[in-house]
Amino acid sequence: MDQKNFIVAIVLSVLIIVGWQAVFPPSKAPPPVTQTAAPNAPASAAGQPHTPPGAAGAPGTPGAPGTPQAPAAAGAPVVMSLDQALAQAPRVGFRTPELVGSISLKGGRIDDVRLVKHRQEVDPKSPPVEVLAPVGVEHAYYAEFGWSASDAGLKMPGPDSVWTTDQKTLEPGKPLRMTWDNGQGLVFALDIAIDDQFMFDVKQSVANKADKQVTLYPWALVVRYGEHKAEGSTVLHEGPYGVFNGSLKELSYGDFKDNKQQKFETTGGWIGFTDKYWMATLIPDQKSKVDVTVKGTGAGANIKYQIDYVGSPITVEPGATGGTEGHLFAGAKIVRMIDGYRDKLGIDRFDLTIDWGYFSFFTKPLFWLLEWLYVQLGNFGLAILVLTVMVKAVFFPLANKSYAAMSKMKALQPEMEKMKQRYGEDRQRLNQEMMQLYRREKVNPAAGCLPIVVQIPVFFALYKVLYTSIEMRHQPFFGWIKDLSAPDPLTILTGFGMIHWQVPEILHFFNIGIWPLIMGVTMFLQQRLNPAPTDPVQARVFQFLPIMFTFMMAQFQAGLVIYWAWSNTLSICQQYFIMRRHGMPIGKKAKVTVLPPPANSGGESGGGGGKKSGKGSSKKG
Amino acid sequence: MMSLALRGAIRLYQLTLAYFFVGACRYEPSCSTYAAQAVTEHGALKGSLLAAHRFCRCNPWGAGGYDPVPSARQPLSCR
Repeated sequence: MDQKNFIVAIVLSVLIIVGWQAVFPPSKAPPPVTQTAAPNAPASAAGQPHTPPGAAGAPGTPGAPGTPQAPAAAGAPVVMSLDQALAQAPRVGFRTPELVGSISLKGGRIDDVRLVKHRQEVDPKSPPVEVLAPVGVEHAYYAEFGWSASDAGLKMPGPDSVWTTDQKTLEPGKPLRMTWDNGQGLVFALDIAIDDQFMFDVKQSVANKADKQVTLYPWALVVRYGEHKAEGSTVLHEGPYGVFNGSLKELSYGDFKDNKQQKFETTGGWIGFTDKYWMATLIPDQKSKVDVTVKGTGAGANIKYQIDYVGSPITVEPGATGGTEGHLFAGAKIVRMIDGYRDKLGIDRFDLTIDWGYFSFFTKPLFWLLEWLYVQLGNFGLAILVLTVMVKAVFFPLANKSYAAMSKMKALQPEMEKMKQRYGEDRQRLNQEMMQLYRREKVNPAAGCLPIVVQIPVFFALYKVLYTSIEMRHQPFFGWIKDLSAPDPLTILTGFGMIHWQVPEILHFFNIGIWPLIMGVTMFLQQRLNPAPTDPVQARVFQFLPIMFTFMMAQFQAGLVIYWAWSNTLSICQQYFIMRRHGMPIGKKAKVTVLPPPANSGGESGGGGGKKSGKGSSKKG
Repeated sequence: MMSLALRGAIRLYQLTLAYFFVGACRYEPSCSTYAAQAVTEHGALKGSLLAAHRFCRCNPWGAGGYDPVPSARQPLSCR
């Protein structure tokens, strides 16, 4: 019977572990962005730029704004290197503390934005992360600000229009002015300013030098080429999203396959595409109503996704100038900066660009606490350790109480077992005797499960923070941990870093790092301190759990494993001292059967007491 | 049937998550053992109610100590 139970238990445990892995997929390092040409990419017409945004919309439907058009599918584009792609058009470059890149004068496109401080790999010499990339590279991704007119006879700047400027560079505090003359008396201008973070401020204006008034619709779009596999869709959202009239909508790329589209209307808010750590987000004028379209065009390798907004019409009298202002955020989702922009620019719910999950009310404060600790200590790993101490400190007295009770229970266990045997069937009698034993020994109840239960949210919130926040990406700890948000790299199957080979996916489960092993050892030690469960099956299964958890946690971010190992270590120390104080022999079964009356042994539990066993600390775990 | 399913769920908990609650219980038997016994002796419905009541008693202001499942023959009294 026991044997059967045991097998059932093992099977169930395995099921739980599998289920756990399904719910919390191990985080994988993002696939490196391919920069060079894929040799076997299907080749045909070179990156065909799109039809002029206004052209397709307006004819015959006066008043209906021509929505900006994504490029028509024109065969698979030739994939070229970034340098090649950048050389296709005249450009104005920029370099700020955070960004490096350029703006294409052809089309007036912001299509080259790389992050100086964020690299594709842990190695600081690896290439910078590309947020936006020009047409021609494998995954083009760009933003455009433009106009459309209801009068089809008016020429609007399009993707092939070459804008003019006399500036060579764009710098924070020195905006770039580009102009384009349509030859019909309209001079379009784009004034693009950048700050030293990730925001582009774009003022689009039209000077009417013709002799009749014109009505134009300003628009802005972000286009993204190719398929994007969400990295951790079960943990956080990746894809098109936005805040529409105050409420967040998270969409998925899959919803826009087969040329599907969705339309929204909003006053205030933002729209864009997001990856786990990076995003390109458009922020329209927060006071005016805009029409938003999200759509996909093309299929397969040629698929393009577009999110755009069309603003309210602007009527420009002859001799006058009209325009509007929008913003583009292209960069890393750094919490401090995003909250800063929300407040400074008054962007409705800009903080929702970061997916903190349902429990954001808890996750975000935990993040702030960690970030504050990081600022004080200079290392996120240390911050996690100190956070653990803080959590433990809050529950220190309660845990003490539990450990004291545990010591006592451990001492009483043999006697209780004896009573259970003696009165086996006579429940009435057993109950009476047990009551008496409890009264006689003045067992103070443990703190209950509450102090443990409240630690569960801390664990999950830390998991979410490590997973979500860019701040934890590529953050080192001491020694070999170079990225707290990735699993421990020194694993068994690589000979703890001695052998360099690509461990096959199928063996990942057995590929355990050093920190998970340390965590397993701490779990094992802690178990040695605890009283063994009286249920023999439970006792046997519990002996295996540290091993199971070692396997399971090996797939998780090193930061989380370090948290757990450290938390266990603190508990072990606390428990060890309390048990010593209560005279418990550590590490072996209590032999005490009858206890003398309480000798006040302190502890806030008040009663306490227990036999001072001379055998004290035989061995620690 | 229902009580069997409940006992299965309790057993599952006891062999996995209960690991983290070793030594924390205010009561003897522990809530999970209590629940399993209560469901066995009193059936799914009454057993669950007993277990829920017990669970609510497990708080820092609860009494704690030895607290067995009331016998099926005894009339239930509200503590």
